[in-house]
Amino acid sequence: MENLINDLKLAIIDTLNLDGMTPEDIDDNAPLFGEGGLGLDSIDVLELIVLMEKKYGVKVINPIEGKHIFGSIATMAEYITQHRAK
Amino acid sequence: MDEKLTVRHWCRIASGLVIKDGEVVLHSGGENGVALLAAAYRHLGLNYPKFFKMDALSKAGFVAGEVLLSDEKDRFEPREDRAVVLFSSSGCEADDIHYRETITDGNYYPSPSLFVYTLPNVVTGELAIRNLYRGETSAYVLEKFDAKEIVRLVSEAFVDEKTKSVLAGWIDCPDDGSVDAMVFLAEEGEGEPLKPELLYKLFENK
Repeated sequence: MENLINDLKLAIIDTLNLDGMTPEDIDDNAPLFGEGGLGLDSIDVLELIVLMEKKYGVKVINPIEGKHIFGSIATMAEYITQHRAK
Repeated sequence: MDEKLTVRHWCRIASGLVIKDGEVVLHSGGENGVALLAAAYRHLGLNYPKFFKMDALSKAGFVAGEVLLSDEKDRFEPREDRAVVLFSSSGCEADDIHYRETITDGNYYPSPSLFVYTLPNVVTGELAIRNLYRGETSAYVLEKFDAKEIVRLVSEAFVDEKTKSVLAGWIDCPDDGSVDAMVFLAEEGEGEPLKPELLYKLFENK
């Protein structure tokens, strides 16, 4: 799980073009959206959905689940672990 | 040209240096461009995660604004009397190129996070959002740093009678490895007269 979390952080930094940010800057449990975390917004959700599918073969089919899945790096990693195909 | 307008505070970012009102805020060891801006962000102890999502131009505007306004009283009180008027040569060309790369390779995926910065005036909006400014904003693309034109257009921003202060200046990031910024506050009151000669002098600080 630890490797996946670090891998995921690097992928998010690359995908969202978070230039100058390192994995150490991202708290595993900090909220990805809103204040107190990465400050991502609805546009970034699109990028994260595509990232999950292209890199890990994980599709987010139920939009209602999205709020939980994209709650933090830890919840994303947990979902990927449970559903990954790659 | 409005003879009453003055410049009291300014910020210069170029050649690995961040300078405010003539004092070196950060002398980076060889870093420039986005790396220098990220170093300045950390050096200033800022907490604004959106910074990392910005393109180089907006990052430069953000850091320049933070340095310029760091001592300002009531900084985050919403205000309608401050305009933002910025100038550059490259505009958002660097981000345009990054965005184009996402739609030209075989793995076609137009990046929304890059697309949102493919306008040269986004940096003025980022400054307005950060500082709760509700005045006018405008961005001009000039062939090169032209102090006479900058003074003329900044002075014109005061014509609407609502504007009492303008955060203005030059911000240019032709690529992620280069940043060239000189921003200032133009207002009536104490300070050096807003004249082309002054802006050229400040621009020479690097």
